[in-house]
Amino acid sequence: SFMQGSKLEVPLWLAKGLHDSKRRIISVELPKMYKEAWRTVFSADANVVDLHKMGPYYYGFGSQLLNFDNPENPEIARTILQASTFISRFRRIMDSSQNAYNEDTSALVARLDELERALFRAGQKGLNDFQCWEKGQASQITASSLVQNYGKRKFTDMDG
Amino acid sequence: MEPAEAEFLAEKELVTIVPNFSLDRIHLIGGDLGPFNPGLPVEVPVWLAINLKQRQKCRLIPPEWMDVEKLEEIRDQERKEDTFTPMPSPYYMELTKLLLNYASDNIPKADEIRTLVKDTWDTRIAKLRLSADSFVRQQEAHAKLDNLTLMEINTTGTFLTQALDHMYKLRNNLQPGESAHSQDF
Repeated sequence: SFMQGSKLEVPLWLAKGLHDSKRRIISVELPKMYKEAWRTVFSADANVVDLHKMGPYYYGFGSQLLNFDNPENPEIARTILQASTFISRFRRIMDSSQNAYNEDTSALVARLDELERALFRAGQKGLNDFQCWEKGQASQITASSLVQNYGKRKFTDMDG
Repeated sequence: MEPAEAEFLAEKELVTIVPNFSLDRIHLIGGDLGPFNPGLPVEVPVWLAINLKQRQKCRLIPPEWMDVEKLEEIRDQERKEDTFTPMPSPYYMELTKLLLNYASDNIPKADEIRTLVKDTWDTRIAKLRLSADSFVRQQEAHAKLDNLTLMEINTTGTFLTQALDHMYKLRNNLQPGESAHSQDF
């Protein structure tokens, strides 16, 4: 039990459930990285920011936050999408996922949030599939990764 | 689509061979082929040409675009223009790989040809990325890119459509007064 005016941390899904613009039971405080100070950092250079550290679901979580009738919402939405963030990071993600075959991209990927990582993997797969095909490996039969880890049974174990 | 599927489609393209055997016209579901007479050039689909070549029953005649001077022209044109040059075959990558892998002895200056085609491919893919980036930056609603081949679209397609999908969702955030924000994230 708690009193009016106290501050609590609750999961987003719960906050969404309690939120009601007419009855105003709760008000939601914006997490740091969606506030103005951080939004300015993003506009300066979105590419250097470590979005994974900021909460690995920056885009998703940010989009959900917009449910809470915050007056800063339009600014937040703009930052998440625009030249401040997704759009300016897009080029770097695309270029390295398509060029960096067998190179170490771990430094870049570490700074991507989950949405960007999925995108990066899609780009890499496109490239990997192509290069594999080009080398003629596409028509080689390889063991499925699912079975590669099964221990091989020794012939003697199979005595009936 | 996998690159191997694009290659499968490419194998329907016709190429000229010179057989060393005789055979009457054969009737396949896709159409008739032949007749085959030793020393007389005949057009067949690539899948058959490769098969015959592997069994040493023919030699392959490279397509007229698979020539160093022609490919240099194409490469230079590609580097000069901002738009995509129409390619001599919609399956230029697949055909180059197939013919150079199985019949390089029938293709003069095979190594140079391989390099030229790869250079052209690299230029085109770089242009594609440039287009994608400016498309995203300007938040365009649609774009039209002429003269792309299937293999190029395949290689970058998944990434681009996923990115645009995300952008669309993020852009919907800008609309105020939407009562049900999707749970899709």
